[in-house]
Amino acid sequence: MESLWVLLPAGQRVSGEWIDDTLRVRAEEKGLLARTPLAGEFPRQRVELIRDADPGAEVNRLYRARGWTDGLPILPPTLGRVDEMLGGSPLERHVVLGEVEPLGGVASVEKVAVNAVMAGCEPAHFPVVLAAVRAVLDPAFNLRGVQTTDENVAPLLIVNGPIAARVGINAGWGALGPGWPANAAIGRAVRLVMNNLGGGWPGAVSFAGLGQPARYTLCLAEREDTPWPPLHVEAGYRPEQDTVTVLRAETVINVTGGLDELASVMGSAASLFGILHSGKPGVILSPFTARRLAQEGWTRADVRRELHARGRLDAETWRRSWIHSAVRATDWPEWARAAAEGGGIPAVREPDDITLIVAGADLPIPQHAYCPSWGHPPCRVTREIVLPADWAARLDEPREPGPPRG
Amino acid sequence: MLRASAVAERAGVPTASLVCEGFLGQAATTSTGLGLPGLPTALVPGHVDVQTVEELRRNVAAVTVDAVIRNLTEAPARAGAAVVEPAAADIVFAGSFDEVNRFFYENDWSDGLPIVPPTPPRVAEFLRFSDRPGETELGVLLPDKRRATVWNVAVNGVMAGCRPEYMPILLALVEAMADPRYGVEHSGNTPGAETLIILNGPIIKELGFNYEQGALRDGIQANTTIGRFWRLYLRNVAGFLHHRTDKGTFGNTWRVVLAENEDVLRRIGWTTVAEDEDVAGGNAVTISRYTGGGVIASVFGNAPDRMLPYLSDALVGKVGWELLFTVGMGVGSQRPLLILSPILAETLAKGGLDKAGLKQRLFELARIPAAKFEKYVGEWTNFVPGRPSLTGLVKAGHIPAVFAESEDPERLVPIVCRAEDFMVAVSGDPLRTNAYAFAHNGILGYPTTKPIRLPADWARLLREARAR
Repeated sequence: MESLWVLLPAGQRVSGEWIDDTLRVRAEEKGLLARTPLAGEFPRQRVELIRDADPGAEVNRLYRARGWTDGLPILPPTLGRVDEMLGGSPLERHVVLGEVEPLGGVASVEKVAVNAVMAGCEPAHFPVVLAAVRAVLDPAFNLRGVQTTDENVAPLLIVNGPIAARVGINAGWGALGPGWPANAAIGRAVRLVMNNLGGGWPGAVSFAGLGQPARYTLCLAEREDTPWPPLHVEAGYRPEQDTVTVLRAETVINVTGGLDELASVMGSAASLFGILHSGKPGVILSPFTARRLAQEGWTRADVRRELHARGRLDAETWRRSWIHSAVRATDWPEWARAAAEGGGIPAVREPDDITLIVAGADLPIPQHAYCPSWGHPPCRVTREIVLPADWAARLDEPREPGPPRG
Repeated sequence: MLRASAVAERAGVPTASLVCEGFLGQAATTSTGLGLPGLPTALVPGHVDVQTVEELRRNVAAVTVDAVIRNLTEAPARAGAAVVEPAAADIVFAGSFDEVNRFFYENDWSDGLPIVPPTPPRVAEFLRFSDRPGETELGVLLPDKRRATVWNVAVNGVMAGCRPEYMPILLALVEAMADPRYGVEHSGNTPGAETLIILNGPIIKELGFNYEQGALRDGIQANTTIGRFWRLYLRNVAGFLHHRTDKGTFGNTWRVVLAENEDVLRRIGWTTVAEDEDVAGGNAVTISRYTGGGVIASVFGNAPDRMLPYLSDALVGKVGWELLFTVGMGVGSQRPLLILSPILAETLAKGGLDKAGLKQRLFELARIPAAKFEKYVGEWTNFVPGRPSLTGLVKAGHIPAVFAESEDPERLVPIVCRAEDFMVAVSGDPLRTNAYAFAHNGILGYPTTKPIRLPADWARLLREARAR
């Protein structure tokens, strides 16, 4: 018989209630207990001792049945692993980042660390996770809406600054695909925080009709090796600062081609929610295209202006859309209604509402992506990644090489 | 929408939130998140988006309107998800001594020292020393609003390393903790004062408390473990935890129990602390919170007139911002404590002072310039807004006239409102001429005395306990 001392990742409200009691009721009402047969059934403690011939597997079985995973296996959040994770924290374990909507579990640094361990994060990833959690807790992110809407929105995390390469957050080959531990684990940690501290259980609290794979993870770094200033520098940060920028992404639409094709996809029904809420979508531009445009004298602002000017939703398509009949005419923003009079509505109110990100491999047949936004208020939240005081010394420790740029 | 309803409900305005059928779960979830579980909702069948005006009108008339009327006219059920905790007798863990200790510590149930595992037989042994059943409620303690019961007193007593026969004292302590006069809810405030327990009665000797050399030092089981029990109970039942409910900037370790030297008190004809606090005769505990204290070494002199200036000066020296409890927050609630070693008490008594006389002399001598007093409460701190003058407070009838015998800013004023606000205890090394002075935390831990109720067959139980 082996044993593991594990911390509980579940959310406790300021009043002391565990959000799982609410989740249990919701899951029962919705007939979803088969997914989480042990919802709400756990000792109301910080730490639990798991004794089993294979305690790691037992932790996985229990945590899955209690609704604390995304369906994939987790790394048991042992006392030792969580302590190591907190070694990568700039903040003490008891510091509270906020309450996670909608159920209001308290996000203490320790609770976030527990979820980060489960997600597979390394301690070096933890400063990024903390900054990302801070960003999604910003009221502008509207986490309550993101968690409970029947749309499929997910947080899109974009990391800038030297930390990306140092901790292996991929901006190049397949940056949004599998195979990159940092991209996979950091985004997953945020999702587990949303699930375990916010209570965003599918079907019980989160009513996303279809969901999307981005709800497992949606995290990448920006290619900062183009002539353009990176995203965070454009936002006023210094190049050597590290930041994470969070958008509400309804989905990720691949666009192969150039600005024409991007504008075409933006000027489609994909932008309806974004137009309704004057949202701030993301456009991921291939580094090949970025470099070529820069050589031709284009700035990032020029690209945004071009996409704003040419990515127009035909007014007739808008009028015939389901959403047009579902909301009142006065719910549409003034700018959109005025543009409709002119025959076409831009995907965004103004060019600067487009968050332009350079990422991906240097393929000559370039691949871009359009990430339409969902919900209100317009949201692009950037948080500086605060590093622990001994960060430099930690990075001197040997670690695996980062991903290739592509 | 529900956020607006929550704001209205908090302001005392009844609400009805119209919710389409498919969103009832979201509404319930959201209202829980808003801290108002069970916000009244009125169901709208189906979803309005797909209904004709006639269908919608029919649905609302048939279903929604009644619910709206009920929402607005009936008191909503406020039953939220209660905080679920283990029941009293639940076995929360089984394991080795080391495992139990790690488990309790990691779950915030311990103070970092090893605990004695509170097993059912050990708890049962403690319960034998109470005539009240385990489920008896002794009060409800903030901030966690947890019930103090005979049972959880026993559990924390076991953990602290107490012996079962200490149980009557532990119960009296928790009754005092739960007394509103004491104000346990303030135990996490930023100055971080710590409680001192003063023990009186024959039980001092029966249970082997130290009341002589090293009276405030750990090392004697009864004094030490009961002091530890106090802090464990604040942690586990009241719910004061580092970084959460506790905001003490520094705080300090729990204090061991101070037992008075009642032999000396009787010999010199002085009252005990419990008697001074109007709990006459027998066994009693007195709890009070002190911001800090210090020793008064080598009190020289063979008569009160030679000794009192030094003792008074020491009392003045311990008091600063705490003067706000004299004239500001809880006027007259400042209760400084002077502990005299027996030889000092005997010398003062020989000089003709009883306790009341001693307190009167301290009241006359322990004084500071009015201007400095006003600095403490109105200039160096911002505890008393508006920088009121002592004369102004006297004129307004807030404090006694003794604070405004003249307008001279250098006039001397007392540090308490009345002579009897001083507390005096006798303990410590009988033959050393040292004293100890504590500054007090006013209404945020006001002296509270409770008699100790012994079980009916105390003598037999004690005999058995001693024989073990």
